[in-house]
Amino acid sequence: MSKPEFVYTTYIETSAEKLWQALTEGDFTERYWFGHRVITSDWRAGSTYRFAKQGTPTIEGEVLISDPPRRLAYTWDPCSTEAKRERTSRVTFDLEPRGKVIKLTVTHDELDEGGKTFRDISGGWPMVIASLKSILETGHELTFDAPSVAQKEKTDA
Amino acid sequence: MPKPEFVYTTYIETTPEKLWHALTDGDFTERYWFGARLRSEWKVGSSFEMVRSDGTVSDAGKVVECDPPRRLAYTFVNQSDKYRNEFPALATFVLEPHGKLVKLTLTHEGFVEGSKFLEGISKGWPAILSSLKSLLETGQPLEIPYAALKLDS
Repeated sequence: MSKPEFVYTTYIETSAEKLWQALTEGDFTERYWFGHRVITSDWRAGSTYRFAKQGTPTIEGEVLISDPPRRLAYTWDPCSTEAKRERTSRVTFDLEPRGKVIKLTVTHDELDEGGKTFRDISGGWPMVIASLKSILETGHELTFDAPSVAQKEKTDA
Repeated sequence: MPKPEFVYTTYIETTPEKLWHALTDGDFTERYWFGARLRSEWKVGSSFEMVRSDGTVSDAGKVVECDPPRRLAYTFVNQSDKYRNEFPALATFVLEPHGKLVKLTLTHEGFVEGSKFLEGISKGWPAILSSLKSLLETGQPLEIPYAALKLDS
């Protein structure tokens, strides 16, 4: 039995440095990550970080690996009561230059089998990463309509 | 064991009609699909081929579903000796409007256990669909070096 994990790969026309910035700066994440600002004192292994939407914490965790602009990993602990019962999962971003583009691989693992987090992130990552790719390539993020955002809100709640 | 399949979802700022055209027009696919032109009459039961720039056919199969601009499904398998023990697997594209966007979900299934072809397409699709999204949103496909897919590793 393979443990549940979610792996998503995309290719983005940008530099590894810009992509790193997009993943780690609150002003940037707020634009493509549906209003979620990432907040941290620094991006060093052992530091804590938190995502918040309009001031309300949604996800928090600890930085595990910070090797700019190649690899970033952090634990993923949703702030909702329901997901709190699940074990803390882990997200790893790998940034690999491929010619003029960057190959981005997001691996979300250490998830609970059949858990709420696994369900939520499987729907959430393709939306977040599609919007991230658009903002880096076109200068503007994707605008999701109300039902999609409502679904995403459920994801983060 | 999870069943051997590949599933990929992305969101593209375009219309279902433009995305449908991008998935079925040979001149268009050539720009983002590593030079491959798709050739088919796009009718259920008609043949489906991927044609290289030198005119040779790399992959072949049949159209299984064609409901523009919502659902497209076809089978194909690579014609090289490497995959001679494999059957054409089924690729299904579902296009769903989401406001100003289209949600595109690709499910590729029906592989034999331990399929080498599944390994290959799992590396190929993210690159092809990323380039497709770029082409529709920016007017330019991505320049991903084919060797970067490491299909032989």
